[in-house]
Amino acid sequence: MACVNPVPKLYRSVIEDVIEGVRDLFAEEGIEEQVLKELKQLWETKVLQSKATEDFFRNNVHSPVFTLQLPNSLHQTLQSSTASLVIPAGRPLPSFTTAELSTSNSSASFTFPGYPIHVPAGVTLQTASGHLYKVNVPIVVTQTSGRASILHPIQQVFQQLGQPSLIQTSVPRLNPCSLHATAEKPKRIETVLHQPTILHSGTVDRKHLENATSDILAPPGNEREIMSEALLSQPESSQYIRLPGVVFPPQVSQTHVHGEPVLGVAGSMTQNLNGGPLSTGRQGAQHQHMSDIQLRVLKNRMFGCGSVKQPRNTEEPSSLPVSEKDSNSQMDLSIQVMDDDINEIIQIDGTGDTSSNDEIGTTRDVEENEFLGIIDAGDLKVLEEEADSISNEDSTANSSDNEDPQIDVVEEDPLNSGDDVSEQDVPDLFDTDNVIVCQYDKIHRSKNKWKFYLKDGVMCFGGRDYVFAKAIGDAEW
Amino acid sequence: MAYQLYRNTTLGNSLQESLDELIQSQQITPQLALQVLLQFDKAINSALAQRVRNRVNFRPMYGSLNTYRFCDNGWTFVLNDVEFREVTELIKVDKVKIVACDGKNTGSNTTE
Repeated sequence: MACVNPVPKLYRSVIEDVIEGVRDLFAEEGIEEQVLKELKQLWETKVLQSKATEDFFRNNVHSPVFTLQLPNSLHQTLQSSTASLVIPAGRPLPSFTTAELSTSNSSASFTFPGYPIHVPAGVTLQTASGHLYKVNVPIVVTQTSGRASILHPIQQVFQQLGQPSLIQTSVPRLNPCSLHATAEKPKRIETVLHQPTILHSGTVDRKHLENATSDILAPPGNEREIMSEALLSQPESSQYIRLPGVVFPPQVSQTHVHGEPVLGVAGSMTQNLNGGPLSTGRQGAQHQHMSDIQLRVLKNRMFGCGSVKQPRNTEEPSSLPVSEKDSNSQMDLSIQVMDDDINEIIQIDGTGDTSSNDEIGTTRDVEENEFLGIIDAGDLKVLEEEADSISNEDSTANSSDNEDPQIDVVEEDPLNSGDDVSEQDVPDLFDTDNVIVCQYDKIHRSKNKWKFYLKDGVMCFGGRDYVFAKAIGDAEW
Repeated sequence: MAYQLYRNTTLGNSLQESLDELIQSQQITPQLALQVLLQFDKAINSALAQRVRNRVNFRPMYGSLNTYRFCDNGWTFVLNDVEFREVTELIKVDKVKIVACDGKNTGSNTTE
């Protein structure tokens, strides 16, 4: 049959083969059979929880499995009547028995039957992938043919307490701004999701669907725990608190950032951190941070040396107000102070080069004069004057030349910056969810036309697995 | 030795994770875990060679071959905007990485 997915059977057979193959090994090591069983159990559970094979243990191909965890209070309701679980067309839920409900774990597994299910509040659902969701509101779960995505009216669900709400899919991704308020209140971070049509075809992107399995949400009971579990189970967690498809603005991470580059921060945030009029760009923020830190270090140094060198004391108050006045000249100030105080760490090139060319020019004059003097102190005494003049000319010429190359360099960098392939592309480029692991029979290239003859491959697209005996393709580079 | 290439699949990774858990709980030794993985390599290689029979074609819809790399007799490609067509279904991806080992001399690669 075309709809039979060969992957689960293949995986199951591989697992069986492996377990049987290592049984002797385990016996030789003196390890109990129980450990082997545990290994098998762990392995199967992980494969099941992954999205690779939804129906790993089921014969049904197109139905995901999710587990109902019912609170005790719901037992009687469900045992007494199935009205709360409305099953149209009189079809019973497969493998959904009250006997299972009576267990202490209060869990029951069943596959989504493909028709709407009314789920009352207080029900916890766990998807095959391990995500936990609790039902906050009595909800009807439907299966739509649209693209699976997160529903926008989460807030509506919260507001509609006590009312069953029928929620459909094919809503665009949540606006992060709308959930900004909820970021600070983890209780409210819950998503209402729907069953995707991945069940029928593999064309739907699994990235969306990992969230869009038929999950329904939680009563206020253990919201935080469930939310944290849901968040932890999200593979996409990053610097932001990220829920399916939702990226919260970095205000959430505000408290963690100090002295570090703040990504995407508005100007107001940098003002809060530095307390002065600052550039709103990210670069500006970084420079301000760095220059601020440099200035503080210099201040500390100055204060430390202040008692030793009196002339510095006079410089201190003068430098401080200057820095306070114009925060943009902090770099200049730092260079000036460093020139005056600590010659050995003058940085002429590099990042300190662009800001004060005049300062650097004069510094170079001084250095060149000193250099020439050192080389031939005796003979060049007469020539020192000439050297000075020459060096002045050279310095002027150099400064002019340097300025030009500097300017050119500065100009060239942006101009030629596009020539180089950024190294950052490479590691990111090879980091993808869609991977094919296979063997090649032949790889053919003609100019920029490539042909691939592959075999015995396992494909993983957005978590879902496929296999092939042979694959032929071509591409243009 | 069969290719260890397939350890980086869902099946292989879940096996490795399970073995890691058992090692951490000191129920098995790392040596034994390695033996299990070797057994897995053999099993998956033979299963793919013998039990899988389907064919897949793929070509970029409007994408292309982004990068190619050949190192240690292994190819790594990154393709953009590709669709994979099987008899039963069509799968579209915006980016896919293909890691391929030499399949011509698998007999010589399999040693005991």
